[in-house]
Amino acid sequence: MKALPQSRRQFLAAAGAVGLVAPVATGFGMQLAAFGSAASQSATGYKALVFIFLNGGNDANNTILPTDMDSWNRYWAARNTGADPIALMPVGTAAVAVGATSPLTGRVASLRTPEAWGGVLPFTPKTAQAIPAGTNATTRTFAFHPMLAPLLPVYTQGRLAVIANVGTLIEPITKAQFNAKQKRTPANLFSHNDQQDTWRAGMGEGAQFGWGGRFADLVASGNGSNSLFTAMSPAGNTVFLSGNQVVQYQFSTAAIPAPRINALTTTSLFGSNQGPAKAQEIIRDTTIASNLGADVGTIVGRSIDSAVTLNTAAGGSLVTAIPAPPSYTNPITGLVEANSLSAQLQAVARMIAAAPALGLKRQVFYVAVGGYDTHDNQNADHPNNLSKVANAMATFDATLANIGGVDMRSSVTTFTGSDFSRTYNTNGDGTDHAWGGHHLIMGGAVKGGDMYGQFPTVGNNLGSFNNPDQNGGYHVPTTSVDQYAATLGSWFGVSNTDLAAIFPNLKNFASPNLGFML
Amino acid sequence: MANMLMKAACTAMLLGLLSACGGGGGGEDVAGGSLPAVTPAGTSGPAPKPTATEASRFLIQSSFGPTEADIETLRTSSYANWINAQFALPVGSTALDFLDKRRVEIKAANATQDVSANQFYEYFWRSAVTSPDQLRQRVTFSLSQIFVISFAGADINPRGAASYYDMLSANSFGNFRKLLEDVTLHPMMGIYLTHIANRKEDPATGRTPDENYAREILQLFSIGLFELNTDGTVKKDSAGNPIPSYTSADISNLAKVFTGFSWFNATPSNGTFGGGGRTDASFVTPMIAYPAFHSLSEKRFLGTVIPASTTSDATGDLKIALDTIFNHPNVGPFIGRQLIQRLVTSNPSPAYVGRVASAFNNNGSGVRGDMRAVIRAVLLDTEARTAVPVNDATYGKLREPVLRMTALLRAGSASSKSGNWTLNSTSAATSLSQTPLASPSVFNFYRPGYSPPNTKTGNLGLVAPEMQIVNEVTVAGYLNTMQTTINSGIGSGSGGSDVTLPYAKEMALANNPAALVDHLNNVLTAGSLTTARRQQIIDAVTAVAIPATPTTTLAQIDAALLNRSKLAMFLTVASPDFIIQR
Repeated sequence: MKALPQSRRQFLAAAGAVGLVAPVATGFGMQLAAFGSAASQSATGYKALVFIFLNGGNDANNTILPTDMDSWNRYWAARNTGADPIALMPVGTAAVAVGATSPLTGRVASLRTPEAWGGVLPFTPKTAQAIPAGTNATTRTFAFHPMLAPLLPVYTQGRLAVIANVGTLIEPITKAQFNAKQKRTPANLFSHNDQQDTWRAGMGEGAQFGWGGRFADLVASGNGSNSLFTAMSPAGNTVFLSGNQVVQYQFSTAAIPAPRINALTTTSLFGSNQGPAKAQEIIRDTTIASNLGADVGTIVGRSIDSAVTLNTAAGGSLVTAIPAPPSYTNPITGLVEANSLSAQLQAVARMIAAAPALGLKRQVFYVAVGGYDTHDNQNADHPNNLSKVANAMATFDATLANIGGVDMRSSVTTFTGSDFSRTYNTNGDGTDHAWGGHHLIMGGAVKGGDMYGQFPTVGNNLGSFNNPDQNGGYHVPTTSVDQYAATLGSWFGVSNTDLAAIFPNLKNFASPNLGFML
Repeated sequence: MANMLMKAACTAMLLGLLSACGGGGGGEDVAGGSLPAVTPAGTSGPAPKPTATEASRFLIQSSFGPTEADIETLRTSSYANWINAQFALPVGSTALDFLDKRRVEIKAANATQDVSANQFYEYFWRSAVTSPDQLRQRVTFSLSQIFVISFAGADINPRGAASYYDMLSANSFGNFRKLLEDVTLHPMMGIYLTHIANRKEDPATGRTPDENYAREILQLFSIGLFELNTDGTVKKDSAGNPIPSYTSADISNLAKVFTGFSWFNATPSNGTFGGGGRTDASFVTPMIAYPAFHSLSEKRFLGTVIPASTTSDATGDLKIALDTIFNHPNVGPFIGRQLIQRLVTSNPSPAYVGRVASAFNNNGSGVRGDMRAVIRAVLLDTEARTAVPVNDATYGKLREPVLRMTALLRAGSASSKSGNWTLNSTSAATSLSQTPLASPSVFNFYRPGYSPPNTKTGNLGLVAPEMQIVNEVTVAGYLNTMQTTINSGIGSGSGGSDVTLPYAKEMALANNPAALVDHLNNVLTAGSLTTARRQQIIDAVTAVAIPATPTTTLAQIDAALLNRSKLAMFLTVASPDFIIQR
């Protein structure tokens, strides 16, 4: 166990000593000492996982790009074409002024053309990536989308890592095996809602338990009387946070995280002194002979019972000191607009700041944004999406660096996921549904400045070129979501035994831990 | 998946754990012997006159909410006759008419302004609350949650969206084949699912057509992911696995069909294909074929092959594709089950789905896709009509927040001062978490297969789509929105809220709390308040004292009667008895 810095101890002292409660029995017979094993690493420390979900399928091919000559030439051939070419400009390309002609493409730049954004931003992973077949470079080099500029310092300072070509898998599979149907694959690849839930819960529509919730099951007892706040989302219901016992708890991005039911907060309702009490009896009735009616009553009861506790904690000075999201300007329109992701992440930061007052030791958060289904108009939509992500993550990182004088960045790991990536080829002005993609992991406990997994060979299958990693327009994943999740879970304190139970397919992969966490 | 889980629940029923299973499991058995059988579509028999409670329950399923007048009308008629009368009602003022009228008003006030999504929402609330063709309105709203476009998405033109909604309305009592075609060719669907101005493939660069619409028309608008039996249960292969109803190759081939369609223009050109020269008409007129951009290659999908050609035939190819999709055996159970979920119950028995699918497959006169036959089958089925399932804890559905609000406004005879019903967006979690035609994505506000985790419903493996938008925040948003609406109205307006309730009827009853509650029980909850719930509301209402005359003024008495009316109304719409429909 690493010695805690003094400031860290102070933060925890503010939390008050919360004794570890014996874990409750779980439906899966996993009365594991999960919290105990977490405790052995960091007995009283706080840890949170924050899942950023990019709804619609992020085009990873325009997020993280290989820049060695062969890769880039094939990228250029695939994407510098169509009515509205979506190819980003090579490393070192100067941004072309709006209205001027790009010497590289011969096209006139506008705010919504890649020429105006300048070249992709190079970065160097600490660990050399293997050179895939079909690529004649001696080293592989990489770059971020120009709009990810706010995250470059985070990467350079070692708190941001890239995981390459991760996707939903049951067992390792190659392109050849996929085409020969020699291996099992998840149902309904390329279907938005099913792949979203496969990422979040291991199965498609109808899933009831997600891995965030399963992790939360294992640590909830350590959160004492406020274990209701173990798995929280400001983004609407998500199966990701549903465990066997732990429920997904919704909070608001507003200053008051738990909106009160007004009818209950007065002594008289419409002139009736019995009104508030009768209203409370009625709205939280769980005895009605309808399961749905009782289910609603249960949620209403939870809302009522938790509101005062959560709102009181959110009124603490650590919480109110969390900055609001900074003003955001859409780089494509030049107009100020809301950055919903930043609002959500700053709301998560408020909950993290409220954790000491609530006695919380482990939390799982889920935030989400849409707009990634860029079948068309990709040049207008995708850069703005990535710009929002980069600004929101960088702001969150900076906020976590100082919560009441304590650097919480090593206690919070933030990571991205999405339905799937998008086709490598363009459809003229956008891209279609694909499979494996690249994602970001951020935090002080991340072994950052590096890339994990195997970056695929890129390029469409044209002429004599037969991409060993790409089928049609999609990359066959080489790392499974389960490996990605299990690595995060291991850091969070979930034991290998529990991980094996939560991710039954994990045993099919050689490396259950990808090594990107300290 | 849901059907698999239904089976598990039915097994529990056999073990005596449940009184019934999703209102059936055996279909015909549900009617039992003691209740009058309801005449199913296409058969003869005496049509029973519904009681007030039965009429109210039927109107909760088939309209935007019962009114006292509608209940009384239906009591003198029959369900089937009411449906026929509704089928016969003309289409009233269209959404596009309304927006164009509002456009003139808005521009008269400020020439730089134009209609926005808010004017569509105005039309929606106005029609839902006041339009006599309630069945058409309700079915149209249901269809808008299957064939989704959304103001929350890309650049949806307000007049275009109004025209799209009118198109759904015009087809709601028509044939599904035409509905599918009109949806496909509407420019707002073209915008929303991006097949407008979709270009044929370019083998030289590897550019391929946009696959968005090809995928979603199959997954969401017609056949779904897995091959289905007529009763909606999932077919299994020899290994017991579900059989995907299409492959990636089907999608990429079908995508070629949806190339070469773009904006209507009187004189189409390459420029108008890309959106140049659009006029008002472009947004409200079906997309037209642009032959130069339509794929000539072979198109092989769902067992159909359109051979490669040297002449472009976008319209001909589209006909073959839509005929193929329309005739797929999945369509009846896939669409039928969702219409049942929107109107009647979340977990229909396979037998119920099967009966609706059979009506889709053949309306009795050999016609496939007759929406009237489908609607009759959904609403007149024994599983919809018999009171038996009401005693089944798994039967029924959660009322959508928008439907709860329309029910309140209709039952309470609400009116709009401006005539424009300015509720605007009700999407916020602190509002209703739902605005018509503004779902977060093409996957609607909720999925048909959503099974709420950690609930009684979810534990039985049952689905409850509407629960997807119920959580700790939204329950407070709903209750607070209803309280405000009941107290002072809803919708922006000068000098107070635009939409308000008059309370004349309620105040006339409020001297007698029991009579007041019984009235609301009739119009809001189809008589389903339990004895205990009825008493809770009566007790709360009675606690509002009516000042004794002659020491008080009439105004003081009226104030007390008004408070009683508002309180009774609020407690009723706050109750789970109202929030669910059975």
